[in-house]
Amino acid sequence: MLLEISGLTKRFGGLKAVSDFDIGVAEGEIVGLIGPNGAGKSTVFNLITGVLPVTSGTVMFRDKDITRSQPDQVAKLGIGRTFQLNPLFPDFTVLQNVTSSFHLHPHSSLVDIFFNTRKYRRNEAFVQEKAHEVLGLVGLSKVANELAKNLAHGHQKMLGVARALATKPTLLLLDEPLAGMNPSEIQYSLDAIRGMRDSGITVLIVEHNMQILTLCDRVVVISFGEKICEGLPSEVRANSEVISAYFGADYVC
Amino acid sequence: MNSANKTTRTRQWTGIGGVGLILVVLALLPLLLAHSYYIHILILAFIYVVVSSSFRTISISGQFNIAQGAYMGIGGYAAGLCSVWLHWSPWLTIPLGAVAATVVGSVLAFPFARLRTIYYAMGTLFLGYVVINMFTVGGKLTGSSIGLAGVHPLFSSKTQYYYVFLGFMIVSLACLYRFEFSRIGTTLKAVAQSHQVAASVGINERRVRILAVAFGSFFTGLMGALYCHYTGVASPASFGLAATLWIIMYVLVGGINSFWGPSIGIVILMIVPEFFRDLKGYLPYLWAVILLIIAFTLPDGIAGLPKLIMGRISNRRGKGEVKADASGD
Repeated sequence: MLLEISGLTKRFGGLKAVSDFDIGVAEGEIVGLIGPNGAGKSTVFNLITGVLPVTSGTVMFRDKDITRSQPDQVAKLGIGRTFQLNPLFPDFTVLQNVTSSFHLHPHSSLVDIFFNTRKYRRNEAFVQEKAHEVLGLVGLSKVANELAKNLAHGHQKMLGVARALATKPTLLLLDEPLAGMNPSEIQYSLDAIRGMRDSGITVLIVEHNMQILTLCDRVVVISFGEKICEGLPSEVRANSEVISAYFGADYVC
Repeated sequence: MNSANKTTRTRQWTGIGGVGLILVVLALLPLLLAHSYYIHILILAFIYVVVSSSFRTISISGQFNIAQGAYMGIGGYAAGLCSVWLHWSPWLTIPLGAVAATVVGSVLAFPFARLRTIYYAMGTLFLGYVVINMFTVGGKLTGSSIGLAGVHPLFSSKTQYYYVFLGFMIVSLACLYRFEFSRIGTTLKAVAQSHQVAASVGINERRVRILAVAFGSFFTGLMGALYCHYTGVASPASFGLAATLWIIMYVLVGGINSFWGPSIGIVILMIVPEFFRDLKGYLPYLWAVILLIIAFTLPDGIAGLPKLIMGRISNRRGKGEVKADASGD
């Protein structure tokens, strides 16, 4: 398993946001983590990436314990992520958003940067070229020089994905990539995510839009912080507990 | 793409030309100024240009540092104490002052990296207060509230001070400029905009913020040391909260979002008033009005003025075009 989470629990005071949650993601998979609003999906992401401290349980990535790691260390190990809200640097241009996200690759030392050595200039030229490549991949080449805060909502989301790709992740965590998108943008995003998997990136998606099911190899359903079901998309769709979690118990036939 | 490159290149050359012109004028000024008092004002201006620019460099990482005067004081007192009590050469005490401010600044930046926004400002406000009080209660060693007199002078003539301090200012500004407009500066700005997004791409927020404070306090301490060797005194009044507030005012009036903002602020608030010395009694009232106008109408300070005017013009043109289109239909 690339990512293995066991017994993950998070308490906010008396409230259990996530309790005894297990999930495993194998290399090359697209796994969906779905559930109604407030089920604890985004909390799971924040626990994996170290944004929130874990109450108990373990997070293993490539057989390494990252339960207590800081967000920047997690990124260094190869876990990229997007954010549901405010996914970017608003006062940078689109291109700057991506170039600044190439912080990890390639590395220039402080001395190289300050004295503008040949190595630093070569690295920066490389970053510029790669950044244009990534923007092409998510379809934002045309707006490269716009300020990020002036972009339409769907474009901002795609820019969030571009930033995450710039860290060259092994595992990519997408936090509600489809929220607030129109149907054509959704189709585009689904294709883009499939393309990422084909280029060798493992993807874990949090979503409450059920359209994501068409994309996933495996789905885990979470409700009130607990795993209620796991399996193939078709199995999950037919599961009565899932239907009751989404629509209320009355709708279960 | 090509035309964009061309405009940035022309902008670069006009920038270099403008800076060159200012340097030539500054180099010739002592020959033209009749009164040594004006040279004195310019020497102080050189010092405060660097101090205010360092404040701004720290601020681009999202840290509003109200201990700026105190860092200047640490540099000044470190140099002053070694000069008065140990009789070290000024060429040794000046770098020592800069290093002292850097060390104290970066060590204190460690716990302060936990604080953000207004809490950081409050923390550094108290920090500045504590540092200044330490100088005041130092008894004979620091000269208590009167200050430490007898710091050895560097030169005998003001003109010599003028040219050497001009040199220090140019080198310091060049370093601060390079710092900001490289990958380091980009990282600082990224952390200021969103520490969460920055962490998600592998930027270590604490390291970046400490680096900004270390770099800014180096040049602040350097200027504090120069200041004490120039005036011959290290006194708490020069580095207290009032001094810091003036520094912040230079930066905000000039424009906190532009590299040259602090320098513009110094020209407006420090040099221009010298031409109106006859009005000295009324000056505070005049300032109050001007500062309020800037606060309400120019969020980016004087440096933001050209952009604001250009924006207005292009807006008006834009509206005109829309109208023309509508009538055409």
